[in-house]
Amino acid sequence: MQHALALDTPPIARRTTAATATVVQRLWFCVYLQNLSLEASGPSKEARVVVEEQHGVHRVLLACSQASAAGIQSGQSSNAALALMPTLHIEERSAVREQQAVEQLATWLEQFTSVVCIAGRDVLLLEIAGSLRLYGGLLSLRQQIAAGLGQHGFEASLAIAPTPLAATWMARAGRRACVRDPANISSMLRDLPLSCLDWPASICDSINAMGATSVGDCLRLPREGFARRFGSQRLLQLDRALGRLPDPRASWRAPERFCADYEMTEEQSDREVLFAICHELLLSLERFLLTRQLGTQRLRFIFFHLRAPATEVLLGGAEFERRADHWLDLLRIRFERVQLPEAFIAVRLQGGRNQAMQAETERLAFHGKQSPQGRRYSMSQLAERLAARIGDQSVHSVTTVAEHRPQRAWRLQGLLGGKVVTTLSSIRRSLYRPLWMLPEPMLLAAEQGCPLHHGRLTLLEGPERLETGWWDEDGIARDYYTAMNPQGLRLWVFRNRSRTASWYLHGIFG
Amino acid sequence: MPHDSSSLDKLLENPRLWRGRNPAQGTAGLASGYDRLDRHLPGGGWPQHALTEILTEYYGIGELRLLMPALAALSVGDSAEEAAADFAEPGWIAWVAPPFQPYPPALQQWGIDLSRMLIVRPRSNKEVLWSAEQALSSGTCAAVLLWPERLDDQASRRLQLAAEKGASWAIAFRPLAARTEPSAAALRIEMQANASGTRLSIFKSRGGQPVVLHNVL
Repeated sequence: MQHALALDTPPIARRTTAATATVVQRLWFCVYLQNLSLEASGPSKEARVVVEEQHGVHRVLLACSQASAAGIQSGQSSNAALALMPTLHIEERSAVREQQAVEQLATWLEQFTSVVCIAGRDVLLLEIAGSLRLYGGLLSLRQQIAAGLGQHGFEASLAIAPTPLAATWMARAGRRACVRDPANISSMLRDLPLSCLDWPASICDSINAMGATSVGDCLRLPREGFARRFGSQRLLQLDRALGRLPDPRASWRAPERFCADYEMTEEQSDREVLFAICHELLLSLERFLLTRQLGTQRLRFIFFHLRAPATEVLLGGAEFERRADHWLDLLRIRFERVQLPEAFIAVRLQGGRNQAMQAETERLAFHGKQSPQGRRYSMSQLAERLAARIGDQSVHSVTTVAEHRPQRAWRLQGLLGGKVVTTLSSIRRSLYRPLWMLPEPMLLAAEQGCPLHHGRLTLLEGPERLETGWWDEDGIARDYYTAMNPQGLRLWVFRNRSRTASWYLHGIFG
Repeated sequence: MPHDSSSLDKLLENPRLWRGRNPAQGTAGLASGYDRLDRHLPGGGWPQHALTEILTEYYGIGELRLLMPALAALSVGDSAEEAAADFAEPGWIAWVAPPFQPYPPALQQWGIDLSRMLIVRPRSNKEVLWSAEQALSSGTCAAVLLWPERLDDQASRRLQLAAEKGASWAIAFRPLAARTEPSAAALRIEMQANASGTRLSIFKSRGGQPVVLHNVL
């Protein structure tokens, strides 16, 4: 026995309505961006069209209202459009730009609900059942979203339905409909045209050839025959749209790391323009991080040039930070030294690894005293400022290592990127060590077995025998002495025991 | 005559006028750890929040040993008054362009807290002065040691102002030849050594008197 598709399968439908008390009713808000390819390239007052290459011919994909008024229609060749309107601006369609615009909108829409899906090239779906109360009801929420989309420069067709597909189809068909009861879906879908389904043209044509011109006509077709002719996927879609089958959607997650571009129409070389652009990018970084309660420690600016390869500027902070002013300050310090090879055409800002930031509480001054001079900035900020100007490698801290070999008894420690390890080993060695160390032991000339350094050295103390490290490449067997030269310099010298008995200078007592 | 005294006042207000003795502005010095030196320094120690210059022929004749007790005190922050306050944070010590590597085990022996040591190695003299000025005025460094290639009158004045602003102690190490150059430093010491001992010559001391000391170390 054949069942019609729309056959209101009473048992299932009734069961779902009866279950609403326990199962949370979902409500999907669809944002269909019908003019996305035009709007993705930003606002413009001039008449313009977006063209796409089809079989070697550039054809109009979408025309703005001014161009449409002049008689330009989609599908025309770009030459025909130009003939109708010589002042027309022709833009190539950019899928990348469209995607960026949709993702930007998705990020913005995340404020209304935790479930935002990008369903296809130009469709955004929001699950709003849980947000209605917070945003003052469906009407108010709809108004807020519509107003926000307008501010972003997008014209959208909005529809609300209990299933994502029904909402999508109604939005594509341009119905400003709002269905809240799942029982009303089929009646709403009934007179939608086939074009809103976004099925391949060949399938729509053959459905048309059968005499079915609307979704309602399709629903009247027998299930098995429909699945056999047009694929079980299409049947599944219809079932999902009607709410008979679940339609799980993966919600979109904004990227964890920030990346934004700023493109210009012409090259710029002015410093202040550059800082203004970077500030704008940094402000969007700050908003990005603020909504996630995150901070970042590293930033990368990439300045693109027309002829020269891109210039990269890396900024590092000692602590996780998100304030735009802070980063701009560091960038300004860096630009006291860095020169761009030529004018730039675009700027990209990439954020590094993020980390949750904890708000710090200000200290209460119970004693009624203020800090002596007022701390201008913290140590980490000082280290950042120094590193921004003279380079990361030039600013560091030191620590000791438990090791007998003098050259290994310490190491450098970066101040940026890691926490300074506090050495608790305050073991006072009885053996006296020099305050200054030479990077490498220096071979001293000798005269009758007596070492020379600006004159004959007098040995004051010693020897202190250090013989260790035989287990690795860097073993030593040395006798260390404290010596003094005629100028009064107290030196730390040693003589190798194993090899030739030459003298070396290793440190100065300072 | 009233006219005369007002013009004298005006003259005395001029910051460029250096008066040999000015007990009114004398603040307590930072004990150097060497009693004989303290007795000859105004305020009984190193001038705080000011620039000190140490002139030596070679590096390593004891100029660091001279400073170490005071630096260790700053590094640990043992001042009782400060400890009572909430913000009793021991200060950092910044080393800007040291001629050799400061050796951490030795510094630890002298009582310096290594976790509060910052070593900066700028590439040019201009950056040395810039880094030192930043560190001094930041208010986080208790002391800033710097080894500039050149330090003219104007640069020394900038360092002096930065030290006052950030309540920090600036110590500049310079060659003996710098003795004839003008400087805004509050204290200038010439240090010489030979096999028999060291000779300290305090030839400029704001609020103090020039003196020559032998074998302080």
